[in-house]
Amino acid sequence: MNMKIFLANIAGYSPVKILLTIAVLAFLFLFPHFVENPYALHIMILLFLSTIMGESWNILGGYTGQYSVGHAAYFGTGAYITMMLMQYRQVPPWYGVWAGAAVVVVVALVIGSICFRLRGPYFVLASIAVAEIMRLSALNLKDITNGAEGILATEIPPLKIGATVVTDFLSKVPFYYTGLTFALLTIAVTYLVQHSKLGYYFQAIREDQDAAHSLGINLSLYKNISLVISAILTSLAGSFYAVYIGFIDPSTVFPLDISVQIVLICIIGGIGTIFGPVIGALVLVPLSEALRSNMIAEAIFKTGMVTEESGPGQFLKENLAHAHALIYGILVVIVILFMPDGVLGFMKKLLAKRMK
Amino acid sequence: MAILEIQHVSKFFGGLAANADVYFTVEQGMIMGLIGPNGAGKTTLFNCITGYYPPSKGEVKFNGERINGLLPDRVCKLGMARTWQKVRPLANMTVIDNVMVGALCRTNSLKAAREMAMEQLKVVSIEHKAGFLAGGLPIGERKKLEVARVLATQPKLLLLDEVMGGLNPTESEELIHLIIDIKNKGITQMIIEHDMKAIMRISDRIVVLNSGEKLAEGSPEEIVNNQDVINAYLGDSHI
Repeated sequence: MNMKIFLANIAGYSPVKILLTIAVLAFLFLFPHFVENPYALHIMILLFLSTIMGESWNILGGYTGQYSVGHAAYFGTGAYITMMLMQYRQVPPWYGVWAGAAVVVVVALVIGSICFRLRGPYFVLASIAVAEIMRLSALNLKDITNGAEGILATEIPPLKIGATVVTDFLSKVPFYYTGLTFALLTIAVTYLVQHSKLGYYFQAIREDQDAAHSLGINLSLYKNISLVISAILTSLAGSFYAVYIGFIDPSTVFPLDISVQIVLICIIGGIGTIFGPVIGALVLVPLSEALRSNMIAEAIFKTGMVTEESGPGQFLKENLAHAHALIYGILVVIVILFMPDGVLGFMKKLLAKRMK
Repeated sequence: MAILEIQHVSKFFGGLAANADVYFTVEQGMIMGLIGPNGAGKTTLFNCITGYYPPSKGEVKFNGERINGLLPDRVCKLGMARTWQKVRPLANMTVIDNVMVGALCRTNSLKAAREMAMEQLKVVSIEHKAGFLAGGLPIGERKKLEVARVLATQPKLLLLDEVMGGLNPTESEELIHLIIDIKNKGITQMIIEHDMKAIMRISDRIVVLNSGEKLAEGSPEEIVNNQDVINAYLGDSHI
């Protein structure tokens, strides 16, 4: 049935769009064949990770209108389950990921049954509180999680099908393809949600809960379905992050920072749209990398406005990288102030003006 | 046959009785008017019937089945739908999508829901606005959208809360015709309305609430001539 809708939609698209999609997909699949620079691959992997995180929050926050600022709970749980299974039980991560997702479903249903009793700002606060409880539990349940010392992945077992080794996860390339696959998976899930009864019900709940309720929508059921889909996808991101970085502790996978980051990807890109989070990732990942690695100071030196040796030059060189959180914050505020519908919404408006 | 039985329903908010011992029955196929001064408890009664508030006392029976305690979505599935005094369009969704949300109560197929929704938009004659965002409609069309959306849930009993409020005479007239069309389809209706001329014209029977209590019940003629109702609500100029 869904396949039929999918094909019908494909048929409705303009050839330009189809060609563009094929070109982008081809570029993404061939990218590692042409670019061997590990840093470039790393940036692409971060882009995929941010896309997964943004898309998954988008289902709950963007479509269903439930602004969770506690998605670190699912990110961290996925990461921990996958890592613990891999390190302590020698379960390969490509099985562990799904075990992590299964545990996250249970966690999400518990959190949902508590938090969905609340609406608006109270829901937001409860979601933050629950994520903090998860972080503190991970920190203090030392016997299970190794506490603040975290878990270091010593060896990732190679991915085998039968006896053939598909990949050994030694370079960044297998992570690139795994990230790409997960990112495409989350986009596909979002697409299917938007083009189904679920999508209509989620949006109705976002627009007006009471009206939705009177139209026969079981609020707690559909909010929980939305949360579970969102949480599973977030846990995929968490597991992927854990195995890619190779080390996790409570302050890297459970902090409020992660929850806020997830929300920002969506808000910056454009909330409640399929490609908003992709745009958000495309804006935020390079921005944060450029600020962190002092590229901006170097760019200023290159223009010749300030020399590296001068007083202000020294100041910029020493401080700009440290101030990256500050600058990042200011840019985010600017985007939110001047592009309330996100970058995607802004571009659409601009295009519409041009067309007129 | 009685489609809705309100049996001694009371609703207290703290010490305040918003509804006190209200009782009446609505017969299949009729239009029941519900009138009364502001604060008489008309909307509270709607909320008690449709599951937004559990009644503090008493029973609500729909098709002979006790429904108090059921949540609004269950009540809607059973075949009772309501509109809101202050319209509640799903503002960032298109008009057709709004009505589809209602239709999806009876089907899981988007295609079927879209067809059902289009049909209802034609009934209220705003099908030319199908692709517009619901938030951008003028008030008259929002009210019609509200009606189309509840009709799409295929109700047996429709509760309309001041569906003519804020409309100009032409728009009111259109809605009166719409209500009569709905009646002719066999859908029972209960209508809260402040426009006395309209409510007297379309109602088969009227219940008057005052300070949360039932003041009178009867045919429109009986109500306009009832001295208690004249004193409490209508005033002398109506005679």
